[in-house]
Amino acid sequence: MIHSLFLINASGDIFLEKHWKSVVSRSVCDYFFEAQERATEPENVPPVIPTPHHYLISVLRHHIYFVAVIQSEVPPLFVIEFLHRVVDTFQDYFGVCTEAAIKDNVVVVYELLEEMLDNGFPLATESNILKELIKPPTILRTMVNTITGSTNVGEQLPTGQLSVVPWRRTGVKYTNNEAYFDVVEEIDAIIDKSGSTITAEIQGVIDACVKLTGMPDLTLSFMNPRLLDDVSFHPCVRFKRWEAERILSFIPPDGNFRLLSYHVSSQNLVAIPVYVKHNITFREGSSQGRFDLTLGPKQTMGKAVESVLVSSQLPRGVLNANLNPSQGTYTFDPVTKLLTWDVGKINPQKLPSLKGTMSLQAGASKPDENPTINIQFKIQQMAISGLKVNRLDMYGEKYKPFKGIKYMTKAGKFQVRT
Amino acid sequence: GVQAVPKETEDKSRSGVDVSGLFSEMVKACATVDVVQKKLVYVFLCSYATLNPELSLLVINTLRKDCQDPNPMVRSLALRNMTNLRLPSLVEYVEQPLTAGLRDRAACVRRVAVLGWAKLHNLQPSSEIDAAVVNELYSLLRDPDPVVMVNCLRALEEILKEEGGIAINKPITHHLLNRLKECDIWGQSEVLRVLQRYRPQSEDELFDILSLLDSFLVSPHPPVMAATLSLFLSVSSNLPAISLAALERVSGPLLAACGSGSREMRFAAVCHIQLLLRSVPGLLGPHYKRFFCGYAEPAYIKERKMQVLVELVNDENVAMILDELKGYCTDVNTDTAQAAISAIGRIGRSYSDRCLQILTGLLGLKQDHITSAVVQTMRDLVWVCPQCSDTVCLALDGCEETLQDIQGRQALLWLLGVYGERISTAPYTLEVLIDGVRSEASLGIKMELLTATMRLFLCRPAETQDMLGRLLHYCIEEETDMCVRDQALLYYRLLHCGIEKTREVLQGRRSDPSLGVLIGRPAKPVSQWARCFNTLEPLSQGAVEAESDRSDSAMRCSDSSTNVLASSIAVDCAWIEECVRCPAVLQCSPQSLQAAMQLVNIQTLAFTPQHMLPWRVYLYTHTQLRVSEDGQEEEEGIKVILNQQPKDDDALRQFLTILITVLNTLSSEKD
Repeated sequence: MIHSLFLINASGDIFLEKHWKSVVSRSVCDYFFEAQERATEPENVPPVIPTPHHYLISVLRHHIYFVAVIQSEVPPLFVIEFLHRVVDTFQDYFGVCTEAAIKDNVVVVYELLEEMLDNGFPLATESNILKELIKPPTILRTMVNTITGSTNVGEQLPTGQLSVVPWRRTGVKYTNNEAYFDVVEEIDAIIDKSGSTITAEIQGVIDACVKLTGMPDLTLSFMNPRLLDDVSFHPCVRFKRWEAERILSFIPPDGNFRLLSYHVSSQNLVAIPVYVKHNITFREGSSQGRFDLTLGPKQTMGKAVESVLVSSQLPRGVLNANLNPSQGTYTFDPVTKLLTWDVGKINPQKLPSLKGTMSLQAGASKPDENPTINIQFKIQQMAISGLKVNRLDMYGEKYKPFKGIKYMTKAGKFQVRT
Repeated sequence: GVQAVPKETEDKSRSGVDVSGLFSEMVKACATVDVVQKKLVYVFLCSYATLNPELSLLVINTLRKDCQDPNPMVRSLALRNMTNLRLPSLVEYVEQPLTAGLRDRAACVRRVAVLGWAKLHNLQPSSEIDAAVVNELYSLLRDPDPVVMVNCLRALEEILKEEGGIAINKPITHHLLNRLKECDIWGQSEVLRVLQRYRPQSEDELFDILSLLDSFLVSPHPPVMAATLSLFLSVSSNLPAISLAALERVSGPLLAACGSGSREMRFAAVCHIQLLLRSVPGLLGPHYKRFFCGYAEPAYIKERKMQVLVELVNDENVAMILDELKGYCTDVNTDTAQAAISAIGRIGRSYSDRCLQILTGLLGLKQDHITSAVVQTMRDLVWVCPQCSDTVCLALDGCEETLQDIQGRQALLWLLGVYGERISTAPYTLEVLIDGVRSEASLGIKMELLTATMRLFLCRPAETQDMLGRLLHYCIEEETDMCVRDQALLYYRLLHCGIEKTREVLQGRRSDPSLGVLIGRPAKPVSQWARCFNTLEPLSQGAVEAESDRSDSAMRCSDSSTNVLASSIAVDCAWIEECVRCPAVLQCSPQSLQAAMQLVNIQTLAFTPQHMLPWRVYLYTHTQLRVSEDGQEEEEGIKVILNQQPKDDDALRQFLTILITVLNTLSSEKD
């Protein structure tokens, strides 16, 4: 199925390769490099590239192309999903998935790839099982290893694959039994000139950190489960029970895992937590443009909008911007024409604004298009979809665990057209 | 410590230092209890084994010993690496531990052993297949561990490749289906893919299978959902109603995948949605906003999304969609901008006024890549909707100044030639080009210029005669390219035959606004695309379509003379030969044949003179079918040689049916 994997950085160097069947020569990547050269932006490299004897299927994440070499017809969705799983695993293991991190941990990377695929077929891709087989590196452990010359495998041999519940190891023991759930939602939206919503979608996840002794059996119920459109569960969740009662019932893996991810689409009304008042104008024949931007919160149920960062790609004709922020700091890069404004927290009593003028190239015609504004923000203690956990119960064990649920909303791809 | 040695060696080998000399040292280091050290040594040995086959015999001993280890992890590790050595000479030493591995009590060892047999087979594909092993693998399909079961499936598929893969019978099918829940998503996709070969024996059985599969159809994991739909479509290929219901059910998860965080996944999902829309055009109508493009989305997704938007247009959303597409026309990426413009042109076939207004407005921006795309789009639009030509003629004024690229200028020339009588400045535009023809590098432009000037001469002789004379003189006397020279000579001789003859050849082919036999896209049966669902085909298809569009316009531009036609086709693609039984057509005059063909939107390009053998007619039709050549009459039938791009059997059949009907009608009229 998957013959080989090449990791290629943005400047077109292969910095890691792994072959599961026979060794495929690096020259196969020449077709990829050709496509990379043709693409104007790194993300414009097409994900499927046919070559005379192979197909190259790639995903781009963290500025690294993960290129799978395929020799026969395969379901593309399968390969794409698997490649993303590889990236997720690296990120999970090393905290970040950068070229430097991969090179620093090259031994663990090879160990992981060896376990994740056998003869080109996915084998162990579940993070919990992998962590049983291969211990993730930590700074402390790396230091100790360098000093003592030992490696990152525990004295104990893994037992995971012998457990009855494949995602949970047996004999887990904790002195403090705790279960934390984070409901994190990202809102993707496109807002048009007049402030009405063109599209809005919410991608949500519930990440869990469960440290419970023994074999606990948990149930988690929501106040409003009908909100969730498309739900994707961790394999531990009993799907039948969800379908029948809309209750999540599961024996959790030990440690950190993603319990479910979901999607709330425009079918349900999506609340938009911030609004933008803007007035960006260029006049024909004038070498000055006006820039006026004000942000404000709306539909946030009284919660503060924090870590606000505004960025906008100004038209090519703009030479410089002379602006005055009411709070925070702004930068304008005259080469890339990227304007960023680090706003911080929005105070509803005193709305942040950024006003001033832009100087344009003399004699150039007025730009065809007004810039799009991208906004990032965070809102603590609220899930913008309105999703709320009703209760969490534990069965199967006698002790009383400590339970906690946290909500957070973030901006995903949040764009305002002007 | 001891472990540091292999690690260092490993690091060195990775940084390109040749450490093959250390092979024997590494073999010794292999005899350790430390698992990570073992792994490192194994990785080293596997990569250098091919260079040092003699020494690798040594390592086999250690590996075989490790296969007896009490720890199942060590056993599976040893077994996996033994099969990864890829040395045919070692096969005899590997077989015994592999056989033992199949019966190991730890599932993780069995998983490795099963795939090990597949690797062994790949190592010596010509050797005979051991029937005992195959039987054992078949029986392991009932292994309690789901991964062992799926690996058996994978191994058997590879080992029995020659025989068409694993034999799928009723008991195996139902066993696999019942255990589908236990597998991980990779295993599920695999099982579903293999089961596509199974044909249920009765309708009851079919419905049993479908109801088992139903919950997987809405699986939140796109690979599983796609594999399930693929299986659904293949088993219910005789029941279109069920296929359509499945498409409806799957549209939710597919739409969700379109909003996935991974851009590659979004791309794959949109491509598959395009397949669905071929059969159920209205399926996603209410969700059209999901296909609006984000600012930072890669160009390849934007292009596909626009193609989908074109399919989803209806009376209610047309204003919204056009407004959105208009925004993309000024995208910084020129490919995206041009794709948006051509999408507007496609919508223009149904909503021409609104679209022409946008397109005309875009010309005002005076950007060369935009103007070029707009002119090409307008040309394609008037070809299908001649009623748009008035607006187009008005809009064209002055855009020759902004046009830079060859395709755009060719399109403009074509329009000037065909609608020259209504564009007042047409002769002046042509004159500028004719004066500069010496410095013109493009072959296509020169040929198009010839045709356009000829056409313009027919309707505005007084203004054009002089420049046509100059152009013909240059092309015949000075031009070095044979194609251009031949075409000019052809026109020159044609003019000698008189103005009426010339008119017949050059103006014989305008599409009639009231007809649309091969135009428009009817809903196609699911079976037409079912087999390419969940394969790589839909992901690469767009490129082909775009290319054929380009060759289409190239064809249209060089249509006026047969030899040019032949030369441009020869490179294009292979001809398809088809013998059609039909009555003789020799008796009817070329004119009546041409008239008859025009009624069904088949254009005649050229005839060989009458009473010549073989007698030939060159025909051309738009949309799917490119060019067909018909002629060479024999006793009973005519040989039709066809050139079609992209290949589409359905359109081909339709075309032949129409052709035969026309010929039959003609000959019956004669009787």
